[in-house]
Amino acid sequence: MEATETKMIPIYIMGKRYEVPEGLTIMKAMEYAGYQYIRGCGCRGGICGACGTIYRKPGDYKIYSALACQTAAEPDMYLTQLPFFPANHVPSNYAELEGVPEDIYKLYPELFRCVACNACSKICPMDVPVMDVIAYIKRGDIEKAAFEAFDCIQCGLCTSRCFAEAPQFHIMQLARRIYGGKLAPKAKHNAEAAQAVREGKFDAMLNQLMSMSTEEIKKEYIEREIEPETAGDDWKPKDAKWLIEEFLR
Amino acid sequence: MGYPESLKNLIKKIEETRPDRVEKKKAGIEIPAMTLDERATLLEAHHPDCIPGTRRELKVGPSQGYAVAHEFADLLESKSRVDPDKVDLSQIDYETDVLVIGGGGAGTSAALLAQENGAKVILTTKLRHGDANTMMAEGGIQAADKLWKDSPGYHYIDTLGGGHFSNVPELAYRLVNDAPDVLHWLENLGMMFWKKPDGTMDTLPAAGFCRSRLHFAGDITGAEIMRVVRDEARNREEDITVLEFSPVIELILNENGQCAGALIYNMETEEYSIIRAKATIVATGGSGRLHIQNFVTTNHYGATADGIVMTYRAGLKLKFLHTLQYHPTGCVFPEQLEGLLITEKFRAAGSHVLNVDGEQFVYEREPRDVEAAAYIKEANERGKAVPRPTGGWGIWLDSPMLELIYGEGYIKREFPGKCKQFGRHGIDISKEPMIVYPTLHYQNGGVEFKETGETDIPGLFMAGEVGGGIHGENRLMGNSLLDILVFGRIAGANAAIYAKEKAQDGKMSLAHVNAYNKEVEEAGIETEVVSPMLLPNYIEKKVRDRQHSSHYVGNIR
Amino acid sequence: MKLSYLPGCTLKTKAQDLDLSTVAAMEALDVELEELPRWNCCGTVFSFADDDLMHQIAPVRNLIRAQEQGGDKLVTVCSFCFNTLKRASLLVKENSDKLDTLNTFMDEEEDYTGNINVVHLLEVLRDEVGWDQIEGKVQNPLKDLKVAAYYGCTLHRPKEAAIEPPNKLEALNDLITALGATPVDFPDMTTCCGSYQAVANPEIVINRTREILSSAKESGAEMIAVSCPLCECNLRENQKELGELRMPIIYFTQLLALALGVDPHLHQCEKNPADARSFLESKGLLAACTAAE
Ligand SMILES: Cc1cc2nc3c(=O)[nH]c(=O)nc-3n(C[C@H](O)[C@H](O)[C@H](O)COP(=O)(O)OP(=O)(O)OC[C@H]3O[C@@H](n4cnc5c(N)ncnc54)[C@H](O)[C@@H]3O)c2cc1C
Ligand code: SF4
Ligand code: SF4
Ligand code: FES
Repeated sequence: MEATETKMIPIYIMGKRYEVPEGLTIMKAMEYAGYQYIRGCGCRGGICGACGTIYRKPGDYKIYSALACQTAAEPDMYLTQLPFFPANHVPSNYAELEGVPEDIYKLYPELFRCVACNACSKICPMDVPVMDVIAYIKRGDIEKAAFEAFDCIQCGLCTSRCFAEAPQFHIMQLARRIYGGKLAPKAKHNAEAAQAVREGKFDAMLNQLMSMSTEEIKKEYIEREIEPETAGDDWKPKDAKWLIEEFLR
Repeated sequence: MGYPESLKNLIKKIEETRPDRVEKKKAGIEIPAMTLDERATLLEAHHPDCIPGTRRELKVGPSQGYAVAHEFADLLESKSRVDPDKVDLSQIDYETDVLVIGGGGAGTSAALLAQENGAKVILTTKLRHGDANTMMAEGGIQAADKLWKDSPGYHYIDTLGGGHFSNVPELAYRLVNDAPDVLHWLENLGMMFWKKPDGTMDTLPAAGFCRSRLHFAGDITGAEIMRVVRDEARNREEDITVLEFSPVIELILNENGQCAGALIYNMETEEYSIIRAKATIVATGGSGRLHIQNFVTTNHYGATADGIVMTYRAGLKLKFLHTLQYHPTGCVFPEQLEGLLITEKFRAAGSHVLNVDGEQFVYEREPRDVEAAAYIKEANERGKAVPRPTGGWGIWLDSPMLELIYGEGYIKREFPGKCKQFGRHGIDISKEPMIVYPTLHYQNGGVEFKETGETDIPGLFMAGEVGGGIHGENRLMGNSLLDILVFGRIAGANAAIYAKEKAQDGKMSLAHVNAYNKEVEEAGIETEVVSPMLLPNYIEKKVRDRQHSSHYVGNIR
Repeated sequence: MKLSYLPGCTLKTKAQDLDLSTVAAMEALDVELEELPRWNCCGTVFSFADDDLMHQIAPVRNLIRAQEQGGDKLVTVCSFCFNTLKRASLLVKENSDKLDTLNTFMDEEEDYTGNINVVHLLEVLRDEVGWDQIEGKVQNPLKDLKVAAYYGCTLHRPKEAAIEPPNKLEALNDLITALGATPVDFPDMTTCCGSYQAVANPEIVINRTREILSSAKESGAEMIAVSCPLCECNLRENQKELGELRMPIIYFTQLLALALGVDPHLHQCEKNPADARSFLESKGLLAACTAAE
């Protein structure tokens, strides 16, 4: 099949005009133009937050944002990347935090300077409702804050726009960790299994398996009982060969 | 935006065959799955690992004679980026107890455990801390922690089965045994596992496992792990110094044959510096950006096999590096989404896999490697794959048929993320199929190391995707996030102990690099390549051809 | 009746009892307070600088949320939130140019039309429910309880934003009467508690507390009813050194809930020498509500 004739479009990288093929991501367009990334490029998959980009369009007052690796370059985009923005991370002794909102207030008192300008939510390329998350934290609702801020990839764009000069993504990270480790219900089954492992309860079983010949272990593999896809946590296997009695329910 | 006319015309063929295919599907009539023998024949003929002429035996180094992909061999049979004689090793820039190379999940967990065991740590990494494959893992992490129906024993059996029984048993033992504890550790660090209201962790079944034990945090499990451990490392900044954009170029040994640190390179100022360390941990991750056989990849920008190169030069052997994991359904169109993983859930739900004529050529639920080989056969041997506008081949994945089977709205409900991603580019995957092709996903093997995190070089430890043996010839989904944390923690703790108890002072040396360079020369290898590669170069060829001053000319490059 | 409600940050953290007793009591009066699904901190302190619109964004954004919810009123109970929101609502109502600027700035929101009436809970009780109605619903009359109604500053200053004419503050006393208790004649009902000076100049707050408590005591009061979490905190926290002057402080919504026979969310505080809960218990006024708990 003939390759379709690619249309070239103009883009302005930090004010300088380049012609790039239509349809490329901003990232690939910049590479096409001749930039080799050191900063501003990480996962190339929309999750690491290295490639935050700010742009404008002609005849439009608005500031737009994008992840360079995820967004197609458009004609006449006027863009720059913001690979880094200073944001103070305040160290804390996580183990000693009490799991209360005051943990966050003490470390980041500047969050109370938020004026609800919403510049943060508007710039966020992941659609995190940053202003609302800060509001949840102010009113002590850490669980809500943690889930609403779950998609944050810590690109720093919100922080670059903040009137309160608050490092929102560090604040939100702390909220998530406080929720995950101190407020969410603990997994008892996991603690029990971790304990069993530390006590060496599976050593004998694993040593036996490890000393098997390939033929023997193949047999175990082929004959093992498979949990049905939709079984759920209550499922009871018929075959308890490699289970430990005391943990059976 | 959307599919170009040429592809729209091809989609018509799919729409023609669709009603009949859907009828058959509803009636339970499937095209036959392959027998074990058929699978083996297909794999041998068409799996990228097996294609003749794509590998060659190494002419130099500790694994001389071992055949690896040309792209690996090109890097291994090359010279160092630096002339060791120009480096003044008496000028130490940084001193530390433990040096961790790589800021992914393996490296960061190693740094935390080394610190907890009393070491001062420097973590040096190529990109930003956390710009790593770990960040990209979506699916989840395996651990047998529901002991009423599961045990590390079953996890062990599954893991060996997945690895075609070639795994190093001691490594697999540690992997499965330490798994529950790793999750416990993550929970206590504040990771947001998805849970039931009573705290029971949600788990999912996954291909190749006999129990539902894939734990997750939304569909960004790796990112959640990465940002939690990274935040914790930042909390310990007094003991853990992080150097970003400073890849290691070579390891430094000492006169006692111990690893004594590394030579790092500031990619921005182009300056080299020397780190002296009592113990060193290599955690540099994988190699997708080598684009083996020109495959696109899911990997991050810095996955360029640097750790393999530097440790190989220092004398470590390779292990299972001949096998790579190709994910059958990588997105290849639109170009912006190239490399994006299309979840296995589409095939599990019954999306047909079709060639350019809209015909089925393989059952959609074969294992990953078999599925991938079948697509490649359709392209290379039968010439019936879908030609991509930007060159290369693709295979149709018929997502719209799921709407006919499960009812309108199914795709939007079950695949909201993918709908959004394609929607941005004007493709509605509930109405139009996707184009997929195998994508380079994971480095099953790597460099040889032990279950204690040690290697054959005293003072040199290893963890993560760079190491080989845990997964044998094939890794199962969710076992990799697990392995990087299990062995990251072990390597970190043992490196700290080594730094305290076993490290000796000794004159630092890069003699091994000189020796290697000489070996390359003596083997008659003529090459322009220098390694490690650090970053791929995606600059347009036309521009590259005009970059006449590739290095300093006058005052500026 | 359904009314949009903005509890405010303090009511979700330090003053949860105020929020919970408010919602419980209003439910007993068949008024559903519908919390705004999204709200921001009110802005805490009204900004005086005439052209400082930045600090009007937060309150006006909350007014937009109330507008989105469909009503024409926004109820608050925290005196500070009330004051900030009320004044912001008046500012933009009277200055259409400022409203335009704010609306243009918040280009991601629907325009605020200027029509949300910010009301304090006392106003709702007085105007929407009515003292007679309340009296009729009292299950547990607060007999023999002498209460000093303390307004503090923000419910009646400035006069444009006052819930009542500043020289005629009656609502709180009327409520106390409706609940079966006895309001006392209390000259310091509007003496400032010291407010945010608690942080920088704690002596000021201690002196003010002494002044207010002794005046209440002289008036024969047994406890002080407040509406503002900051007043509550200042007056309660600074009693330690005041010996004989000590006196329990209570939110008026807690008295309301108590009288209506629903959970007043009164928490025992062992450390507090003048604990409201123990005091009410000793007066035999808790029986009905402990049943409700
Ligand atoms: C898209 C995707 C999805 C995946 N999904 C899953 C999943 O669901 N479950 C699962 O278990 N696994 C999954 N994997 C695999 C898994 O994520 C990785 O194998 C694992 O995270 C590797 O961790 P690591 O720490 O070894 O390497 P990485 O996380 O890649 O970290 C390596 C680090 O080393 C740095 N580095 C490289 N070279 C140098 C150098 N010369 N000097 C200094 N630093 C250097 C890199 O910049 C990087 O920071 C997935 C992988 C990908 C790509
Ligand atoms: S919340 Fe801030 S740091 Fe996080 S993704 Fe959005 S803009 Fe980036
Ligand atoms: S940018 Fe800052 S001040 Fe503005 S809403 Fe967000 S957190 Fe508040
Ligand atoms: S490069 Fe990681 S988000 Fe774009």
